[in-house]
Amino acid sequence: MSTLSVTQTRSIADVLGNEEVVTELVHDVDVHSLFTEGKTIITPTRLLVCDNGTVTREISLSQASDFKAVGLVGNGYLEATIDGVRTAIVRFSMSQMPYFANAVKYLNKITAGQSVPFYQEVEEKKCPRCGRVLPEGSASCSSCTNKVQIVRRLLAIAKPHFPLMLAAMVLFWVSTGIRLVVPQLYRILVDDVIRAGQRDLRQLLFYVGLIGLAGLGTNFVGAIRGLVMTHLGAGLGQDLRNLVFAKIQALSLNYLSKRKTGDLMNRVTGDTGTIQSFIQNQMATALNEALLLIGIGLILFTTNWRMALLVLLPTPLVVYLMRRSANLWRLMYHRQWRLWDRTNSLLQDILSGMRVVKAFGQEEREVKRFQDYSRRFAEVSAHNEKVYNTFFPILGYIMGIGNFLILYYGGHLVLGQKMQLGELVQFSQYASMIWGPLRYFTFIPRWLTQALTAAERVFEILDEEPDIKDSPNARRHRIEGRVEFKGVTFGYRTYDPVLHDINLTVEPGEMIGLVGHSGAGKSTLINLVARFYDPDEGQILIDGVDLKDIAQSDLRAQIGVVLQEPFLFSGTIYENITYSKPDATPEEVIRAAKIANAHDFIIRFRDGYDTKVGERGHRLSGGERQRISIARAILHDPRILILDEATASVDTETEQLIQEALGRLVKDRTTFAIAHRLSTLRNADRLIVLDKGRIVEQGTHEELYRQQGIYHQLVNAQIQLFKLREATISSTEESH
Amino acid sequence: MNRNSREEGLAEYAHINYLKPEECRFSLTDGGFLSLTLNTETYPVVFAYRAFPLSFGDMYISIRDEKDKEIGIIRDLAEFPCDQQELIRLELERRYFTPVITSVIKMKEEFGYIYWEVNTDRGMRRFTTRGSHDSILPISEHRLLIMDVGGNRFEIEDFRTLSPKIAKQIEALM
Repeated sequence: MSTLSVTQTRSIADVLGNEEVVTELVHDVDVHSLFTEGKTIITPTRLLVCDNGTVTREISLSQASDFKAVGLVGNGYLEATIDGVRTAIVRFSMSQMPYFANAVKYLNKITAGQSVPFYQEVEEKKCPRCGRVLPEGSASCSSCTNKVQIVRRLLAIAKPHFPLMLAAMVLFWVSTGIRLVVPQLYRILVDDVIRAGQRDLRQLLFYVGLIGLAGLGTNFVGAIRGLVMTHLGAGLGQDLRNLVFAKIQALSLNYLSKRKTGDLMNRVTGDTGTIQSFIQNQMATALNEALLLIGIGLILFTTNWRMALLVLLPTPLVVYLMRRSANLWRLMYHRQWRLWDRTNSLLQDILSGMRVVKAFGQEEREVKRFQDYSRRFAEVSAHNEKVYNTFFPILGYIMGIGNFLILYYGGHLVLGQKMQLGELVQFSQYASMIWGPLRYFTFIPRWLTQALTAAERVFEILDEEPDIKDSPNARRHRIEGRVEFKGVTFGYRTYDPVLHDINLTVEPGEMIGLVGHSGAGKSTLINLVARFYDPDEGQILIDGVDLKDIAQSDLRAQIGVVLQEPFLFSGTIYENITYSKPDATPEEVIRAAKIANAHDFIIRFRDGYDTKVGERGHRLSGGERQRISIARAILHDPRILILDEATASVDTETEQLIQEALGRLVKDRTTFAIAHRLSTLRNADRLIVLDKGRIVEQGTHEELYRQQGIYHQLVNAQIQLFKLREATISSTEESH
Repeated sequence: MNRNSREEGLAEYAHINYLKPEECRFSLTDGGFLSLTLNTETYPVVFAYRAFPLSFGDMYISIRDEKDKEIGIIRDLAEFPCDQQELIRLELERRYFTPVITSVIKMKEEFGYIYWEVNTDRGMRRFTTRGSHDSILPISEHRLLIMDVGGNRFEIEDFRTLSPKIAKQIEALM
């Protein structure tokens, strides 16, 4: 009986019967490439394809094998071999890929006869409460998070700086107090001094002097406040940045590799800056602005409520215009910035690739390209300037309409003797002061959102638990060098394993060479030894102790790495060599450099070991960097060494020096080397050949070469690339 | 070595095996895969790849076997009889799934993510993208690819033809 028969419309419940559901998947693309909403139900014995509430296909797992979830462009499909026929089962959009890949793992184990439980190992990407997408790698939903909580935490961060914030506040009140008094002085000046008729010059001088003094006072207090704010800002900024940076250092490679460097940098500098500016500017002044708004409002209304209304009449329109213009300005500026960015990038591209441009004679084309971009940018800039110079002044004018209203109505009152001129002057002064707080409250929602978003991103890092942790019974352990892999399976994404069931025992002092095609799992294996990641299944033991039970600080001190791309920090050669052992003596450094065959070229530099290298410093050649990297490892003197050989070719002489240095480095040290040099392979005590994440061949170079398997293939392919080809070819031919 | 003999020497590597319609017979397997009989040789399962998926949809299609080795290239799908074209297109549709957005119903930005609700040529769809420029890939000045958080792709043929408000939002994103 064919298990692929399309059954008559049978409801899901009918077909399922009493059988439990292991998991339910969504397949949302149909055979015609249209969006659909279908369910794929997996039970312990069957797979049911359901569309529109009915079962359209029923597959018995006993007849199926080789399940695969194949990812393509923007979608994927599930296939299996059913009754010997390779069959495509359902299609799904890329969003569903992790779920299917996870289910496939389970299905293949079940159909192979293993009885395993089902693990839902896919990270939940949506907030369970509101359905919004969770920020990558985070488990907290942006909208469901308690805003109050965040504000509380911000306050907690601001707490140690409260005295300064208080001082800023008090100074604000003082300067505001002075400002509030000035209109009164004006009134007195106009009504009681000037208009009163008596030519009392002394009084005149007095009040003018007072007003002048008030102005001075405000400025002075303002300056002090500025100083206080600067200190506040600097202190806050420092606290925040240090907190975030320290946390980033503590987090594991897994978390960090999921993020772009730019993103993290943004959080340390940009986001902390936003929070700092918010606390410093907005938080500290919120209360003040509110009080000011209420206060002035009261004064205006109690003086003359009709005029007060006139002042506030255009407010809604003004607020609306303010918002719109701010958005408009933002958009315009963004467009301009984008074109500038593009032009700049092009320029940078061309200049750095100048050799290529000239070699292919494309100067004219590039000039034209640049002209094009440049022109676009100029056009948009000009347009923006025009708008800025016409629209915004008009806007400003409209915003000032309130003044005309006051002048007219107030003038009317004064002429009708219902109000004194001085009172009018006072009123109009107070009226103009109201725009400050109004503007503040117009924009506060936006500033608040910005700050909360920034705060969230920062707290996300601060709250993150490093997943490579020391277990509770972690202890120090003096490494002898025996490394064991027991049934280790691992994938950077758990549902996509890179290493499968690795079993390996390495004795102390043994040098293991790892070989295989690219992507076979070599780098992954050494990442696990260095405990940059933890295995998903199985164990890694050092001298019989589980890797997780060794205190990380102790582990790192005893494992050394020489990486493929020797990374040197910006600093001196001396600083780079002593990176793992900052308290090393100059003598130790020289010895290490001599062993690494680096001493001789370093001495020849103008500044010797004090030569600055890295981004801004001396440009070292590949071979020089490799040897400094080796010197660093030698000084470190680790019990276990991880060596990821550089593939970059160097001249024969340098090659010999490097080989010699490496030979000295690995002597009597348990070494895991990803080998690219034939000499390394021949020196290894044992070679491990990986293919698609599994160990397929093991042995010495001669043994494996004779087997004529994968190793033989790899070596033959590489022979052309090795610099010492004469020596190696003849010697391998001899061994036949 | 002169230029001609060098070209000859390299010719075997440069050779493109164009598949001729009269030599090919594509068919659908029971399991829903594409199979090919080329003259006398049968390939039980073959896959179709577009060499220029964004520039030329139906030209230069690479036909590969189960081991991913290229059997040949179809220069232009139109060379083949209609029923054969159907089958090959079906296979291409399986691989390349990029719905074209015909109109945007909603585009809401919140907390650094944008929630879209759109009409496409494959049906209505809701998806989420990051609120940063890396979710938009410009194919040409106005033709865009939108990439969502799940790895799905959507195409906008000319974003200027969308409603002005949406067009502005998209531009602000780029």
